[in-house]
Amino acid sequence: MTMFAGLLFEPTRLPGEAEVLRAEVRDFVVRELPPDYWPNSDFNEGHSPDFSRKLGERGWIGMTWPKRFGGGERTFFERYVVTEELLAAGAPVSAHWIADRQSGPLLLNYGTEDQCQRYLPRIARGECFFSIGMSEPNSGSDLASVRTRAERVSDGWVVNGTKIWTTDAHRNHYIITLVRTEPPSENRHAGLSQLLIDLRGKGVTVRPIRNLAGGEDFNEVVFEDCFVDDDDVVGEPGNGWTQVTSELGYERSGPERFLSAFRVFVEFVRAVGNEPAPAEAALIGRLASHLMTLRRMSISVAGMLQKGGSPVVESALVKSLGNDFEKLLGELVRLQAPPGHAGLEKCLRQTLLHSPSFTLRGGTREILRGVIARGLGLR
Amino acid sequence: MMNGLIADTAERMFSDHVDRGVLDAAEGGEFPVALWDVIRAAGLHLVGSPGSGTADADLYGLLTIAGRHALPVPLAEVLAANSFLEENGMTTVAVDGVAPWGRVADRVLTVDGDVSADFDVSEGANLAGESRDRITLRNACRVDLPAQFYERMALSRVALMAGALDRILAMAIDYATEREQFGRPIAKFQAVQHNLAILAGEVAAARCACDGAVMSARSPNFAVVVGAAKARVGEAAGIAAEIAHQVHGAMGFTHEHSLHHFTRRLWAWRDECGRETDWQERLGRQVASRGADSVWEFVVGVG
Repeated sequence: MTMFAGLLFEPTRLPGEAEVLRAEVRDFVVRELPPDYWPNSDFNEGHSPDFSRKLGERGWIGMTWPKRFGGGERTFFERYVVTEELLAAGAPVSAHWIADRQSGPLLLNYGTEDQCQRYLPRIARGECFFSIGMSEPNSGSDLASVRTRAERVSDGWVVNGTKIWTTDAHRNHYIITLVRTEPPSENRHAGLSQLLIDLRGKGVTVRPIRNLAGGEDFNEVVFEDCFVDDDDVVGEPGNGWTQVTSELGYERSGPERFLSAFRVFVEFVRAVGNEPAPAEAALIGRLASHLMTLRRMSISVAGMLQKGGSPVVESALVKSLGNDFEKLLGELVRLQAPPGHAGLEKCLRQTLLHSPSFTLRGGTREILRGVIARGLGLR
Repeated sequence: MMNGLIADTAERMFSDHVDRGVLDAAEGGEFPVALWDVIRAAGLHLVGSPGSGTADADLYGLLTIAGRHALPVPLAEVLAANSFLEENGMTTVAVDGVAPWGRVADRVLTVDGDVSADFDVSEGANLAGESRDRITLRNACRVDLPAQFYERMALSRVALMAGALDRILAMAIDYATEREQFGRPIAKFQAVQHNLAILAGEVAAARCACDGAVMSARSPNFAVVVGAAKARVGEAAGIAAEIAHQVHGAMGFTHEHSLHHFTRRLWAWRDECGRETDWQERLGRQVASRGADSVWEFVVGVG
């Protein structure tokens, strides 16, 4: 009934089979995480190949993919439940996150049969991790301006250039790299292609970049005469822009876009106790009301993905609202945090130090607002 | 999902019968008799009542459309009363002793479960100029209210706000697209686009919160979900009205422009049947009483 296509969030309930899964994931997390594990609901924190492998054993990676590629042929709702439970529990999910969320689906949509056979089963087993090769030192939000180029040689391509802000490139296996395969033309979106490159292969140098929180999650990845076989071109050469934008529905709508600061909420409730003062109760209620609404929106997008839709504008809306909420959560709790609660303090610091990234990674707030404005017919 | 025929009927009827003149006259205290007559003739005053073959989604969907048109009749109250009382003229509902259009109602029902056709009225209005009359019942009877009747009234405000939010987004987009400054429509300026994107986000969130509450209408979690929705949509109303006005510039601040019919209602409705903080506190206490390690379970459990 609303007039704008991009605002059509159909009311959607998680089906029963998805809810059954919830209890299994909760049990699993309690069992598998060491008692002294400090949970962090930011999806970028906590890289554990071991934990990812165990998730793979349970069939919780590549859940929606065909069985012949190692997937589970389960619904996007089931995948949604697994991802939100893992994040809420603060489990270490960073290792397989990108491969499961977008590299796998990208290969499924655009890759060859051979590529799917080669990579998807290993991803689903939690043995093979991917990074995203989009941003460059001089191409951030303006993705179409990428300069990393691939030149045609007899049986493949030779890549030269630099990618940056590449999360986990120093410990993942592959990077799907957006490159220019034709010189820039009037159509800025033409001549781009995606190549699947071995991060430990010849001609690839990975240099970790220390972030302001002291962590080394993201990297600079330099390609120097790096040879890429024709078999590792993802999709049609020249179709890179379409492919990259199609990843965004997967990338932007999930619960990782509003749960990064969730542990702060939990620790705040712990700190104020069972009978909070009125202002404390109001803050808890406010945060809960936002969280409940964001979940509805994200579940509605899972429903769109389930139906094979490409909810680009809706995803931008979820991410935009979700990221603002993640930032607001920390700030509001900070002002009401009772002193003397080490757990809460630790969470708050961690969240504050990472919060600048919330509205940058996966599309900046400004880019998202542009996408929404386009959906409203303003551009 | 709402019945499409009811939606189409309501949308067309309200478009045809609600205009500036009707809204201004209603603000002046004049009940829009002609409008109310067509609503009754179409049977829209019985949507959601027993035996009508309609559901909660129809009732609150109808109120969303009413909100989109700033419908100046006490439809939310009449639907709430008719949802369980036998229809007997116009029955309005008093919350904290105040009822919309008490001055023309045949009966008044209170959210405490008293009902009477014999009452004193002291006329009043909310900040949108909507009739909000102080009621003193005489010779009241007790009736058995449906469960969570007050929450249902709160949900009616949520639905009305969702509709009005939809409308101000449409108005802001239309205005920004038509209004030219510096040689181009202001919709072409990034600053304006970003404000409209924020506005759209709040409208979408409000709609989802409302839909979720309507879906929960028969569940044991209804009270919690309505509270969360009233709090969230109330927040959205404030943010959205602010942006819609900023986009409309001084024109939207005039009485002549109709934006205020919607924004003033949003400001009024977010205070009616519990402000954001009232519901937040209630919700927060419930979350806290289960303890920190059950926060997630709580959020997920209410659906």
